[in-house]
Amino acid sequence: MSFIVTFLNGLSLGGVYALIALGYTMVYGIAKMLNFAHGDIIMVGGYVLFVFISLTGQPILAIIIAAFLCSLLGISMEKAAYKPLRGASPLAVLITAIGVSYFLQSLAQIIFGAAPKFVIIADLGVITFGELVIPVYSVITLAISILIMIALSLFIKFTKTGRAMIAVSEDKAAAQIMGINVNTIITVTFLIGSFLAAVASVFYLLKAPNISPTFGSKPGIKAFTAAVIGGIGSIPGAMLGGFLLGIVEVFSNSVPAIAPYTDAIEFLILIVILLVRPTGILGKKRREKV
Amino acid sequence: MKKWFTKVAMAVAVTLTAVFAAFLVGCQNKNKNEFVIGVSGPLTGPAAVYGLAVKNSAQMAVDEINEAGGLGGYKFKFVAVDDKHDASTVSTNYATLVKEGMQVSLGCVTTKPGLEFKSLSKEDNVFFMTPSATADNIPEFANGYQMCFADTKQGTYSANYVNDNVTTSNNKIGVLYRAGDDYSQGIYNNFKNQLAPKFTLVEASFTDDNPTDLSSQVELLKDCEFIFLPIYYTPASVFMLQAKDKVSADCVYFGCDGLDGIESSEGFDINSIPQEVSYLSHFNSNATEGAAKTYIDKYVAKYGKDTLNQFGASAYDCVYAIYNAMKAAYDKDNSKVTPNTSASDMCEVLKTEFQGGFSYSGVTGTNITWDRDGYVNKAAVKYVVKAKSN
Repeated sequence: MSFIVTFLNGLSLGGVYALIALGYTMVYGIAKMLNFAHGDIIMVGGYVLFVFISLTGQPILAIIIAAFLCSLLGISMEKAAYKPLRGASPLAVLITAIGVSYFLQSLAQIIFGAAPKFVIIADLGVITFGELVIPVYSVITLAISILIMIALSLFIKFTKTGRAMIAVSEDKAAAQIMGINVNTIITVTFLIGSFLAAVASVFYLLKAPNISPTFGSKPGIKAFTAAVIGGIGSIPGAMLGGFLLGIVEVFSNSVPAIAPYTDAIEFLILIVILLVRPTGILGKKRREKV
Repeated sequence: MKKWFTKVAMAVAVTLTAVFAAFLVGCQNKNKNEFVIGVSGPLTGPAAVYGLAVKNSAQMAVDEINEAGGLGGYKFKFVAVDDKHDASTVSTNYATLVKEGMQVSLGCVTTKPGLEFKSLSKEDNVFFMTPSATADNIPEFANGYQMCFADTKQGTYSANYVNDNVTTSNNKIGVLYRAGDDYSQGIYNNFKNQLAPKFTLVEASFTDDNPTDLSSQVELLKDCEFIFLPIYYTPASVFMLQAKDKVSADCVYFGCDGLDGIESSEGFDINSIPQEVSYLSHFNSNATEGAAKTYIDKYVAKYGKDTLNQFGASAYDCVYAIYNAMKAAYDKDNSKVTPNTSASDMCEVLKTEFQGGFSYSGVTGTNITWDRDGYVNKAAVKYVVKAKSN
């Protein structure tokens, strides 16, 4: 019985990781850069929720505002920090991303202080099926993240913008020749990624209502690991990696003897998978031309 | 011309230094007519509520002792200096206290400055008993003592408390600790070692300093009727929120000093938690009887309720414990305990007393003794922050 609940909790945590991992993987696939400030957008989303729930007491309104502001932040981050570096070496872009991450963390610390803030979005309680006691947030998190993933897959497959995104990720130069505005596509990618991060921040706060300036770094690193496990650049890969990591984390935590080594186990899986399949589980093999 | 000037300047400087030094020595040697107790603590800044509690309480104890006649006809003087909970101020503060003629000390109020104080006082062999610097290595040297429970020793006392006072229908005791964290892991190890074999320990752990997902831990602990939480209050509140509907409402959450302040942490409504929330302490600020009640009444009448906390209660006991030990030594040989006894000699006298079957009963415990390492032995109290909701 406990197994089912644990499995569900794992899926729900995995769903959140998958949402964040999608942001990493899409930006990597399309802009060919690792946006290490992605985790901090979750943190910003958390503080926006904190401010607006404290001010208005309306969780739904606060969630909409958070989603809007995070998307806006994602776009402006891209415009201000990454666009000027479009032609620069990947290393310069990477360092810039780390810089943006520190900037956001320090800004949050200046505004809100280092001590954690508490914000309760909603008290959802539990549902009971006989012996099963399942937290409602687990179910909601899982359901909504699956819905979002389906919607995203449909969007990419069947809309013009979505197909343009695939084209840009396949071959940027060719896509440009075909008349696709690469800059717009990159902006849209950042918008979607940041929106997903905002959704993830809502799920995090439903579970654990405390938010601190470094709140985004751990989920960020975990989701990045998930994206790499699944194959960075691959959208189904990010989902698979996210769920895998979530389930491993929850099950590892539920065995007292190995619980202290949960992080180590997760990263060990990353190493093993990279040894066996260097491009990740669903990553495409690319033949380098010599 | 220049050389000549330098020579004269040097000579003047040397002379001045010599005169000044002689003056200082003269100051120290002058006959004193009162015993001096010193402490360094945060009297301003964010931690001031602790430093002020210690200052007020120690002063209150000293005043009482003086009113009752002091010791051997001599009065006591208490000196408190401000360290703002900043370790870098401690060496200056220590020098100030020595200049004031400090013979015995309460050390520092908080741990970080306390570690600095520990090393400085070792050089001069100054006896100190800290009311509230809880780190395990505060009493590392022979001159250091604690009135509060040392951090990881809280595990031992919590286990003693559980062994003596707790019964659960399934004989299970749950524990949630942060693996790899010195404080939490240390308490947990001691707790595990000391827990009576009749109990089955159900363990759960996490590693993040700010964990967000504790669902597996909740799942492990959900059948426990008593859960020990040797963690800080932020992760503890996350656990309580995630567990509140899964753990029985009759369950008791019991923590250590890391839970101190959980009821006032911003945004967290402790009344939304149905279970009882409590922690190990040596002082109950809501006590309605005994020495604690007497102390609370006196303190509130004099200084108000704002700074009433266990730091003050502990400081009050420190002063009385030191006084009692000095008195015991004085009764044996009154030449060894005078206002002119050097700090180092006083330290030896007090160490002999504290290691020689001395025991003290006060606000924070009865029949308190100290072991060879300077750690305190006394019974823990369960301080209930929030009773079970109906």
